[in-house]
Amino acid sequence: MTSDEFKILFTGPMGAGKTTAIAQLSDDACVSTDVVNTDLEQCNKEMTTAGLDYGYISLAEGYGVRLYGTPGQERFRFMWPILANNAAGVILLLNGEHPDLNDHLTMYADAFANGGDTPLVVGIGRLAANDFSRVDQVTEQLAAMGLFVPVISVDVREKDDVLLLVETLLCQIEAHEMELMEI
Amino acid sequence: MKNKNPLSQTATELAQRQLQSLRSSTTGITSAVLLSSDGFEVTSLETDKGKASRLAAMGSSLAAISSAIAKEAGISECSRLIVESEEGVVAVMKVPNSSPPLVLAVVANDASRLGQLLWGAKHCCAALSQELKEVS
Repeated sequence: MTSDEFKILFTGPMGAGKTTAIAQLSDDACVSTDVVNTDLEQCNKEMTTAGLDYGYISLAEGYGVRLYGTPGQERFRFMWPILANNAAGVILLLNGEHPDLNDHLTMYADAFANGGDTPLVVGIGRLAANDFSRVDQVTEQLAAMGLFVPVISVDVREKDDVLLLVETLLCQIEAHEMELMEI
Repeated sequence: MKNKNPLSQTATELAQRQLQSLRSSTTGITSAVLLSSDGFEVTSLETDKGKASRLAAMGSSLAAISSAIAKEAGISECSRLIVESEEGVVAVMKVPNSSPPLVLAVVANDASRLGQLLWGAKHCCAALSQELKEVS
C-alpha cells in the first residue's frame, strides 16, 4: 500500500446500507459476498453479506481509497477484526428507524472505535426529512462514551451522501495523524 | 442465540441422518455442520452447540468468499474449499440445488484421508440435495 492510499471500513447492523454505500462509490464493480438472507424477521431483505464487501475509489491528486465492508450480523463478529486490521478509519452506518438503534450504536462503537483512537464517522439512514432528533440522540450517546465524532444523516442510495461520509472521515484521519505527529 | 434453522423438522432429521452416515463411513471426522448460506446452523455432529453455531457462521463466510474469488478469477462457481493443516482438514462445500442454499462444513483430524473425506462429503451433499428436494 502506498502512502497515498487509505483503507477505510464500513460497518454497522444488517440492513444499514453498507453494501449499497460501497457500490455507490466504487470505480469498478465491487467484490460482493452476498448470500440469500433467511432471517427475514431481523431484516426483510433478499440478500445479505456473509464475508466482506470491497470497492475502490480514486480521488483527486493521486489519492485512492480502498473501501471494505463488514457483515452486519453479530454471528459474523470473527470477521470484524480481520477486516478492521490496518484500516485508517471507520464509517459506522446505522438504520435510524430501527428500534434497537441505541444498542446497535453501543455494540459497533465498542467494537470499532478503539476507545477513540480510530477515526470514526457515523452515518444515520432512513430518517424523516428535517428530523434531527435521532442525530442529536446518537451524538449525545457517543459523547457519553467519550467519543466526539461527526454524526450525519445520510441516504446511502445517494452517491453524494456517501462521498460526504468518506470525505468527512478523511478529514478525521488527517486530523488524527497531525495529533499523532504533535505527540 | 435463538435457533433460526430455515428447514422443517422432517428435513432437519433427514439431514442429521446423512451427517451420521457420512461420519460412520469416513475416517477422522471430528465435527460437521450443515448450515444455511447466511450462517445459521441447520444440524450438526458437534455436541457443543456454541461451537457448531460459530462453525456455521465461519463456514458461511468462507463459502461466500470462495465464491467471490472464483468469480474474480473467472473460474465460474466455487464448489468446494479445502483448508489443510498438519493436524487436520476443514472442507466447506455447497449442497447443489438446495433452497434455501445450504453449505456443509466438515472438520477432520490427521487420521483422515483427504480423498476419502472429499468423496464422502461430496456424496453426502448429493444425497442431501436429492432428499431435501423430495420433502420440500
